[in-house]
Amino acid sequence: MIVAHVRGHHTRPEELDEHARASWLGRLDPRAKIVGVVVFVVATALLTQTELILASLLLAVSFGAMSQVPYRHLIRMYLGALPFILVASVSVFLFSGLERGFDMWARTSSCVLALLVLASGTETFELFAGLRRLKVPKLVSALLMLTYKYILILGDELERMKTARTARGFKGGRGLLDGRGLRIISYTAGMVFVRASARADNGYEGLMARGFRMDMKQMRTSRLEAGDFAFMAWFACLSSLLVMFQLGVIQ
Amino acid sequence: MRVLNVKALSFTYEDGTPALKDVDLTIEEGEKVAVIGPNGAGKSTLLHLVAGFRTPFHGSVSVMEIVLDERTADKVRRHIGLLFQDPDDQIFMPTVEEDVGFGPVNLGLDSVEDRVSRALRSTSIEDLAKRKPHRLSHGMKKRVAIAGVLAMEPDLLLLDEPTAGLDPRSRSGLIELLRNMDKTMLIATHDLEAVAEIVDRVILLNGSIVFDGGLAELMAQDTVLEKAGLEPPQISKLFKRLRGMGYDAKVLPVTLDQAVAETVRLADREKGRSRDRKT
Amino acid sequence: MHIPDGLMDPLVAGLGWLEFVVIAAVAIYMSGRRTKDKDLPRIAVLCAGIFVAQMLNFPIGGGTTGHLIGGALFAIMVGPVIAIVGMTVILLIQALMFGDGGLTAFGLNAVNMAIIAPLMGWGVYTMLKPLLSKGEAPSGKAFTAGEAFAIGAGAWASVFVASAACAAELAVSYAVSDGAYGIAATVSVPAMLGYHAVIGVGEAIITVGVAAYVLKVAPEMFKSTASRPAATIGLKSIFSSRIAQATVAILIAFALALPLYFIYSSEGADGLEKTMEDAGIGESEPLLTSPFTYGENYFAALFAGILGFVAVALLGLGMMRVLRAGRPAE
Repeated sequence: MIVAHVRGHHTRPEELDEHARASWLGRLDPRAKIVGVVVFVVATALLTQTELILASLLLAVSFGAMSQVPYRHLIRMYLGALPFILVASVSVFLFSGLERGFDMWARTSSCVLALLVLASGTETFELFAGLRRLKVPKLVSALLMLTYKYILILGDELERMKTARTARGFKGGRGLLDGRGLRIISYTAGMVFVRASARADNGYEGLMARGFRMDMKQMRTSRLEAGDFAFMAWFACLSSLLVMFQLGVIQ
Repeated sequence: MRVLNVKALSFTYEDGTPALKDVDLTIEEGEKVAVIGPNGAGKSTLLHLVAGFRTPFHGSVSVMEIVLDERTADKVRRHIGLLFQDPDDQIFMPTVEEDVGFGPVNLGLDSVEDRVSRALRSTSIEDLAKRKPHRLSHGMKKRVAIAGVLAMEPDLLLLDEPTAGLDPRSRSGLIELLRNMDKTMLIATHDLEAVAEIVDRVILLNGSIVFDGGLAELMAQDTVLEKAGLEPPQISKLFKRLRGMGYDAKVLPVTLDQAVAETVRLADREKGRSRDRKT
Repeated sequence: MHIPDGLMDPLVAGLGWLEFVVIAAVAIYMSGRRTKDKDLPRIAVLCAGIFVAQMLNFPIGGGTTGHLIGGALFAIMVGPVIAIVGMTVILLIQALMFGDGGLTAFGLNAVNMAIIAPLMGWGVYTMLKPLLSKGEAPSGKAFTAGEAFAIGAGAWASVFVASAACAAELAVSYAVSDGAYGIAATVSVPAMLGYHAVIGVGEAIITVGVAAYVLKVAPEMFKSTASRPAATIGLKSIFSSRIAQATVAILIAFALALPLYFIYSSEGADGLEKTMEDAGIGESEPLLTSPFTYGENYFAALFAGILGFVAVALLGLGMMRVLRAGRPAE
């Protein structure tokens, strides 16, 4: 059974952030978005009745459609997650029947879609800021911010190294027994670390020279407004309805 | 007030090699000073030390009358704006305007938005405000870094090789910017032409201070420059050769403006001489 | 191995969150004690390095590629405690940037990839290194062949055991939920273990390669905990021995699976039977049934087997250490 590893091919196209900034979703307070989607996902994960799962899936798809995130991106990311979902769904189908298999597929897809919309419809840094304001510890959020910055820089360097590699005839290794191929790949990875190391010391001074106090702070912090409450309320209400049906509180 | 006062400063690296020996230096408000010297002369180290990043050291350093030591380093840094050689070392936020505001926000300064717009305007990058810094060109990144430093309104600017790695257009833009800026600054650099355009006072550092005075004065001392492994600017070389050929300039020009003036003077003198010969 | 939401039984996912929060809190606390403000950018840089390194594909053969997880590499470079915090940060960024890995499933993903992987990687490496590497590295090389093997073994173990944990979580989810969540053990275990046994080889090779390269070119990146002074009093001095620490690390990794077993045995054993009944009554005939008598004891046997094996292995290693030493443990 081959489960394709697509993670390495993840990229976040630049236009995504531009779209995000312009859209209604992008302008919501990140805290509201995180809370709303988390509530939805938690509720959906609890569902085992087919009708309810379908309702949740519908909700997720409409969320995606209204979010103004480019469809192509959402579909591409979803396809990336699909293999794992399919393995689970097919296995459940084979052991427990068609309905259960379908439930598994629909439920995971619904959750994945909601999370994809959250991740693609907001600038990543904004989400970190939202987490910080939701009381995630200072160390973690400072690490998130700094790591993100270095990911951008190192990512560019990796691309340049790969291009240089290809320009010198490297076509990728052939298999685990291709010693030379694997060695080159590990040296490429090693170079990433070595270049990273040089930046680390300067990074500390760069931060201190600008008054950093181990806490990520933003210039403009958004405040919760009507739109944010509406968003959270929408997801909270529908999610609680679904859960109440699931638990048999309502028939 | 003395913005910077360094007395008998000595500093050795962790591995024992001496970096600075017995350095004396004072900078008054409004002065623009360049510190030049060969690689490894300690220019960068001096700047980072003044910014409180190299302790312990011998001697005394005070910035705006605050004596620098491990405890006061943070306080001293509020008065200093250090510009790193690599702008990526000091750009942290996802948009230009947020990054320019990073310093003021951290320091808890007032009217951050105003500071940011002023800084963006003075570095002529207002149209870059919403852009992502890590996608910008090197020259633009340097401007973002400078804007970020200016937004903190430091009393003393410390610039580490500001013109390094810039294309000619960005370089002249930056030189123009620094020349017109009304700030006390200490610039560590190799770029003597930039030095000529920006500063009034030059310090030649090679572990210790070898020279402290005007650039023209320094250019006249051939042996000093050679021992320090430095190349004089093209303009100085040109006029030294002319002098050797009999066309004597009263004062050796170092800037383009001075060179133009001197050339015109020489040309007029020659015109006058040839007219005299005709008559 | 990033599990999406909706796949795991909520009880199992909740357990994952509980384990994650407890261990992460301890790790964050311990990191806070060990690191100074100065170290923050360095750790961030390493996190970014691992994150970016994960984007490299290495070929497995037959056109498929795999990716580095990096838990072992991280732990060997900076020790398990900081590696736990760092890997957690990486998983968080992946979830928020790419939607990779679920939110309710974050606890489990973190347990597998941010806790078990670094602990196993570091633990196995630390245990094997003094046994396998004798003397100085040959000139021009970063370490002896023995140490290289120790690193590789650690990396392989980190991937393999993490995937075993994942398989266990899937299997228990399936059993506990009467087949509504998870993947049946007879599928999840061979699939996960088989696939990751191969992936683990790639991870081992690349981890050794990267470690060798970085050690030669930028050795300051290996911030070892050996530089911390060992305590001299009682219990603490036992625990300051690196071998003992490694043992604890490995045991914790396996202990994280223990609650799963309890959940299974209290709720799941019936569940598997019930699944078989359901399958018969369900609307459509299932295409596969697992062997009944084998199935009921399969999971329990597997668990006991693994735990027993680990216990014996550790005991054996410990005895070997004592026998050949005479030297006090470092």
